[in-house]
Amino acid sequence: MALALEMTGITKYFASTDVKANDKVDFAVEAGEVHALVGENGAGKTTLMSILYGLVKPDSGEIKVDGKPVVITRPDDAIRNGIGMVHQHFKLVPSFTVAQSILLGMEPNRAGFLTPNEENRAVAELAERHGLPVDPKARIRDLPVGMQQRVEILKVLERNARILVLDEPTAVLTPQEVAELMRVVRNLSKAGYTVVFITHKLLEVVRVADRVSVMRAGRNAGSKAVAETTVPELARMMVGREVLLKVNKAPRQAGEVVFAADDVSVTDVRGFPAVTRVSFNVRAGEILGIAGVSGNGQTELVEAITGMRALDGGRLVINTKDATTLSVRERRERGLAHIPEDRIHVGLNLDTNLDENLIVSRYRLGQFNRAGFLNRRSMRDFAADVIKRFSVAAAVPGGGISRLSGGNMQKIVIGRELAGEPSFIVANQPTRGLDVGSIEFVHRSLVEARDRGAGILLVSVELEEILALSDRVLVMYRGQIQGEVDPATATEEQIGLLMAGAHPEPASAAGPAA
Amino acid sequence: MEGFFSVFTIELFNSGIRLATPILLAALGGALCNKAGVLNLALESKMLLGAFLGIVAAYYLGNTYLGILVAVIAGGLLGWLFAFLYHRYQVDLVILSIALNLIILELTVYMMRVMFGQTGSWSDPSIVRVPDIHIPFIEDIPVLGGLLSGYNFIVYLSWAIALVLYVVLYHTKFGRHIRAVGENQEAAETVGINPRQIQTMALVLSGMLAALGGAFLSVGHLKLFTRNMSNGRGWTAIAAALFGLNHPIGTFFASLFFGFADAFSVRIQNVTDLPPNLVEILPNLATVLVLVLIALRETVTRSMARARTRAQIRATADEKPATT
Repeated sequence: MALALEMTGITKYFASTDVKANDKVDFAVEAGEVHALVGENGAGKTTLMSILYGLVKPDSGEIKVDGKPVVITRPDDAIRNGIGMVHQHFKLVPSFTVAQSILLGMEPNRAGFLTPNEENRAVAELAERHGLPVDPKARIRDLPVGMQQRVEILKVLERNARILVLDEPTAVLTPQEVAELMRVVRNLSKAGYTVVFITHKLLEVVRVADRVSVMRAGRNAGSKAVAETTVPELARMMVGREVLLKVNKAPRQAGEVVFAADDVSVTDVRGFPAVTRVSFNVRAGEILGIAGVSGNGQTELVEAITGMRALDGGRLVINTKDATTLSVRERRERGLAHIPEDRIHVGLNLDTNLDENLIVSRYRLGQFNRAGFLNRRSMRDFAADVIKRFSVAAAVPGGGISRLSGGNMQKIVIGRELAGEPSFIVANQPTRGLDVGSIEFVHRSLVEARDRGAGILLVSVELEEILALSDRVLVMYRGQIQGEVDPATATEEQIGLLMAGAHPEPASAAGPAA
Repeated sequence: MEGFFSVFTIELFNSGIRLATPILLAALGGALCNKAGVLNLALESKMLLGAFLGIVAAYYLGNTYLGILVAVIAGGLLGWLFAFLYHRYQVDLVILSIALNLIILELTVYMMRVMFGQTGSWSDPSIVRVPDIHIPFIEDIPVLGGLLSGYNFIVYLSWAIALVLYVVLYHTKFGRHIRAVGENQEAAETVGINPRQIQTMALVLSGMLAALGGAFLSVGHLKLFTRNMSNGRGWTAIAAALFGLNHPIGTFFASLFFGFADAFSVRIQNVTDLPPNLVEILPNLATVLVLVLIALRETVTRSMARARTRAQIRATADEKPATT
């Protein structure tokens, strides 16, 4: 079969971070196929695609489209050569309508004046032709994420792209939206379009792709037909060794209630309801998972529990004492630990060194505090101890942390939070953006903390993570607990329906923890 | 009290319009910049430069209109320099604006001293003020004629610019690209729109508009230049653009509001015994009030939404729906 796209010898070195993001990468895609591009974070997938789309200039290498060499220095060049990109973070103008967004930059016009009716008609016709229905007059900001993604795909099709690059397209979707996207991608392939599907979820590769290329440390570690490979083999190619896709853990030994949320309501930054009358308990020795599509109140719930946002109703109990109005420090003194969603801005202070980052939650302790002055030596000893216990590679006591990898940064956060043997741990998206090896580490640390008797509230949008780690699972939808499921017996479809707002079947275990 | 109400006359309206004109011109430039996603806090200095160059060039060239043209071109060049420094060297626009505002203030005083030996204000009998236009027929209509006729061309031009800017922003392809750049620069960039070009254009145009507003002060409204002649009108213009939600028509009415506040404080000094110092701060108070309102808008909507939420929570407290 003819090659739609051929990239050869692509090399890119980033001097600012001293990283060889692409090292003589060869990458070829056949016309009409769905080609998955997988790899850990930082393996160079995004760099390679940014080079293809003219956003990053390569140091060397050649690109051929349909067998002809092309020069791509700007997105314009890529579009002209039939390459379209759907970015992970959508590039849409919130106040524009669907039609305005799709036609941006190529509006039909009379002597420069806009013709809204013609725009709406053109977009309706485009959507019809590709079997991707949209309302041309709807505002982008009112659309659900899956619909916004559809707008991005239509935008690319309207520009006559023959090769579509989808960058981590499933990261923000519900399982139902994912299934719909898979169908759309298969249909596009059937209609003769070539699709490059960037992902790090190997199960998706098997579901949607014809062929797959694996990137590892800036190189192409191999391309294979999906039919001739397996998920474990792909995982091995990604990290260069066997990884545990399952978490080994002993049966739950649930003890006392360490945390209780009772009828909790929280509003978001704009004052709109984010969490409405939510109640649940976390017991010692268990991991309670909260599943849900991001933006359904998880962030606000975690902020309320950890003391970063005031409640609008209800109460919180940490270790049998009311904690509703306690400060962050008082909650921590009662046994709370918090692994925040955003490790770069909330979890760590990159401008200061490792030691200070590790003691921010315990600098008042006599160990570090001498009459108001910090005891540098014991800080350093503590840092050395954490580095050893949590094997934080590349970190040195007293050294900076801003150049560490995401995985090592997260190890520092986890080291700090788990070092004091807290009784209640809130972990919000603890593995987001981490490579497979680091994910394994985080999972093991959490399970160890549970086995030693801590109660853990795990919030994650990664369903596999929730199912692998949790002893009980609550599903959040629009600020409420939509239902509780048993991770041992629940299917992904069942949870997916709850995540999309369906009501649990009467037969399935307990109702909402009201 | 009779004296108080005698303030409201056609003359008050006329002077309100005249005082609003420089604010409106600069505010339209500011609104355009905001729409294009570049913060222009240097309207004040661009206006002051326009006021100075307008009258100086009118004096040397012996023609008021040429003087205004020079001022407008200089304002555009200053806007272009702004854009160049921003795009080429990533200079922080706020810092650049503060620097420019300070430099132009002192530079105009310095030049006035060097060129004319004056430090406070300067004028010359040879300078001709821009003539007022009496529109045939309209000026004969009772009341309305007095309200709409008898201003100079800059006033009418400023109204036309507001209208044209509205049409361009909301009904042309180019205007939609400007708004796309301002709201999500990356979105515009990925479809081949050049944000640099659009932002440069916005900065150049706003420089020209602010300078035209300045020239209106020195050769359109009066015929002299004084130290710090713009006297905060560039800042008021920024408030007007925000108050008008960066919409040209909204900005038009916001500028009128500030112009009238100005005129009112001038008039009221003639008819009341209130201490002039107190009255003079009225327009400034109005500005502060408007800025507070703008700032409050978000807080108020937020707390209202919050109150609604709480009420809803209370309302459902007794009848928690059984979802199973």
